[in-house]
Amino acid sequence: MVRKNVLLFVLVSLLIAVIPAFAQEPAEVKVWIAFTDDVRLGWAQDRAAEFNEMFPQYNVVVEGYANYEELFAATALAAEQDALPAIVQYFEVATQDARDSGYFKPIADALNGRTEVNGLPVNFDDFVGPVASYYTLDGVFTSMPWNTSSAIFFSNMTILNAAGIDTPPATWAELDAACEAIMALENAPEFCWTFPNHGWFFEQWIAQQNEALANNDNGRTERATEVTLNSAGAVALLNFLDEQVAKGYLYYSGAQGGNSWGTVDQAFSTQQVAMAAYSSSNTADYTNYGPANGYEVVASFLPYNQEVGWTGNLIGGASLWLVDGLSPEVEDGALSFLLYINTPENAATWHQVTGYIAVTNAANELLAEQGWFDENPNFRVAADQLAQSQITTATSGALLGAFPSIRNVVTQAIDTVLLTDTPVEDVLTAAQTEANTILEEYNLLNAE
Amino acid sequence: MPSVFPWVLTLIAAAVGAFILSRRCNRYQAAPLLGTVIGAAAGAVGSLVFVQPLNYCMFEPERAAVDAIFGVLLVGLGSAAFISGADFAAKLWYTRHLRASAEQKSAGYFKGWLLPFLFLAPTLIILALFLYYPSLDTFQLSTLLARLGARRTAFVCVDNFTSLVSNTQYLNSVGITLVLSAAIVFFSLAISLFIALMAFQPIKGASIYRTLLVWPYAISPAVAGAIFLLLFNPTGGIINYFLNSTIGVSVPWLNSPQAAPWVVIIASVWKSLGYNVLFYIAGLQNVPDDLREAASIDGANTVQRFFRVVFPLLSPITFFLIITNTTYAFFDTFGTIDLLTGGGPLNSTTTMMYNIYEVGIVNNDLGKAAAQSIVLFVMVIGLTIFQFRTAGQRVTYGA
Repeated sequence: MVRKNVLLFVLVSLLIAVIPAFAQEPAEVKVWIAFTDDVRLGWAQDRAAEFNEMFPQYNVVVEGYANYEELFAATALAAEQDALPAIVQYFEVATQDARDSGYFKPIADALNGRTEVNGLPVNFDDFVGPVASYYTLDGVFTSMPWNTSSAIFFSNMTILNAAGIDTPPATWAELDAACEAIMALENAPEFCWTFPNHGWFFEQWIAQQNEALANNDNGRTERATEVTLNSAGAVALLNFLDEQVAKGYLYYSGAQGGNSWGTVDQAFSTQQVAMAAYSSSNTADYTNYGPANGYEVVASFLPYNQEVGWTGNLIGGASLWLVDGLSPEVEDGALSFLLYINTPENAATWHQVTGYIAVTNAANELLAEQGWFDENPNFRVAADQLAQSQITTATSGALLGAFPSIRNVVTQAIDTVLLTDTPVEDVLTAAQTEANTILEEYNLLNAE
Repeated sequence: MPSVFPWVLTLIAAAVGAFILSRRCNRYQAAPLLGTVIGAAAGAVGSLVFVQPLNYCMFEPERAAVDAIFGVLLVGLGSAAFISGADFAAKLWYTRHLRASAEQKSAGYFKGWLLPFLFLAPTLIILALFLYYPSLDTFQLSTLLARLGARRTAFVCVDNFTSLVSNTQYLNSVGITLVLSAAIVFFSLAISLFIALMAFQPIKGASIYRTLLVWPYAISPAVAGAIFLLLFNPTGGIINYFLNSTIGVSVPWLNSPQAAPWVVIIASVWKSLGYNVLFYIAGLQNVPDDLREAASIDGANTVQRFFRVVFPLLSPITFFLIITNTTYAFFDTFGTIDLLTGGGPLNSTTTMMYNIYEVGIVNNDLGKAAAQSIVLFVMVIGLTIFQFRTAGQRVTYGA
């Protein structure tokens, strides 16, 4: 009798345990991003929580990875195991890699002409010019822009004012003259300016001189098969940097790529240098270095080569890619979340807590209404720089396979130029040969 | 369609194998014909084992000479391995009577063979899955052009290997590896021997000192890198602060291609001191006192006593430590280098291991990285064999 009761009890509890499985489970939308800090990952997770409350049929889960390289490796492995998430963040120079991988589907294709998904409106025209043009491939809006920055210039105005300079230098010649004045001061800083030796800055300074990095219109009309690293603009740039190091104005820490950002943070915040080229994504931090350490920080456009003039600057940052082959509910959920992230309010708050530009015009208007830019003039510099840039082949940015590896070749070349006496043309030509070999192998393995 | 050339090589290898094995059999006055046949077979199989799976692609007429030379090298390597294996097996076989009695006296604990294998099975399975199978995979990967995340791979025969010959960055890293390893091994052994001698004195609190001296062994190479990064930071580090305030000189430790390798050497030596000191103290405890007393009675001073009595008796330990420290310097310094210099200003601290990381993981070029890791693997094996043959002769075991 007892045995029968126990059996009954077990059966009933099993049935009860199974009931939730029959209930409507929210479709899980996994989002992989390359942020692990509280500010950025936290913001994304807060938006996911809000979204989940607004749309209970979806369950958005945001996972953070330490950096882009780890995220790519994890994505490649997940693809092999058929365990891809719904949305992956790829940074801008990996756009060609993302396209070639076959994991993703263009957002315009997924939307299929719809103008709203789950009540969230679709408005591709609202994106800021250079941003839209970067992520529109073959005329199709491919990935959702999210964190977008530009390369700008931060100046320690306290030191500059002491040297009699009222506005930050706008050209290379003005920068040189400013450094001459600053280094002549009594308690001059150790060096005058610095920049992170990251391939992005090379690309920015090349684009400013309207030089394309790759053939086939920077890889936008057809697959890029050749890079040009020894263009006149590149030679002029490296000669300028070399000369600045020789004069003792430019501080080069020797760190390359991802490791170089921290050395610039340290140098600028401790007033070891008076000026630094940096990404607008850290505008908040850099502006706060000032009051924390007793000086004033002003942001300005990245200095350009006055011999050639200023064409425009590139965007940097990353976009969110939609994975191909999702079930319709998950895909709709992913699309909705992508649109939710870039509603005017969300795009505006993302800008305010990080410093990445607000990627839509509506968000920019919202911020202007709130008087945000008047109170925080440093935050508008990147947006202004992009708004005033001419959109040419060069400033649209290159679509290049194996771009991250080619960037390593570029930073290595800059390292060689700044630390040795090898002539600039020789270094750049050797780097170009190496980069072209990498590109050739990449295309061999990825082209149709 | 393979040309005649590879078959010629196989015949040569078979002939060499036959010669060596027949000589071995003659030595033991055993059947020479059997030895000749086995030797020929070993030579032939060995010559094919590396080139046959690649279908003799390196000997194709449209390939460059360096590919064919590499092919000859592979044939030589394979046949040398198989012939020396057969030779060793023959030596063991013909001297088995010398070991038979010894084996019968010390029988093992396990009577059968099944139970021992069951106990070993978990380890063997894990080794096979996580060590041997990926190694085979690496061999295959080294013949391909492969990038992480690419749509396909392309077979390139031995191009990944032959391109290393003209790769200045790679040759540079080989040189740096050899120099750094030699310096690390030498300084580490010398300093740790000195410290062990000091710690071995009958002083108060000796056991406490010995425990404290061993501690650096327990931290990871990356942590050692982080510690020395803080110490040797050119602008904010303590070392430059002291140098500045005392001598007034400020060395660009991590920014100069000449100074950066020394920081890596210092950090690696410091990290390995604990391990070496431990072994040397154990070795010193095994040096019999009466030998030292006899030497001093005979009129030897401290230095002579050390170099003539103590040091030769420490030679087994020294030999063992040279091998382990060389392995440490080749492989485990990766963490230290990554944190200290990230490959160094102008690649001055990029060892072969670090180069593999840069090529394979940073630049996603898997084929080339696999080829480099195989070369490193062969190099370390070769170094170990060389050390056994040369230094192993000079080791005096037992008092």
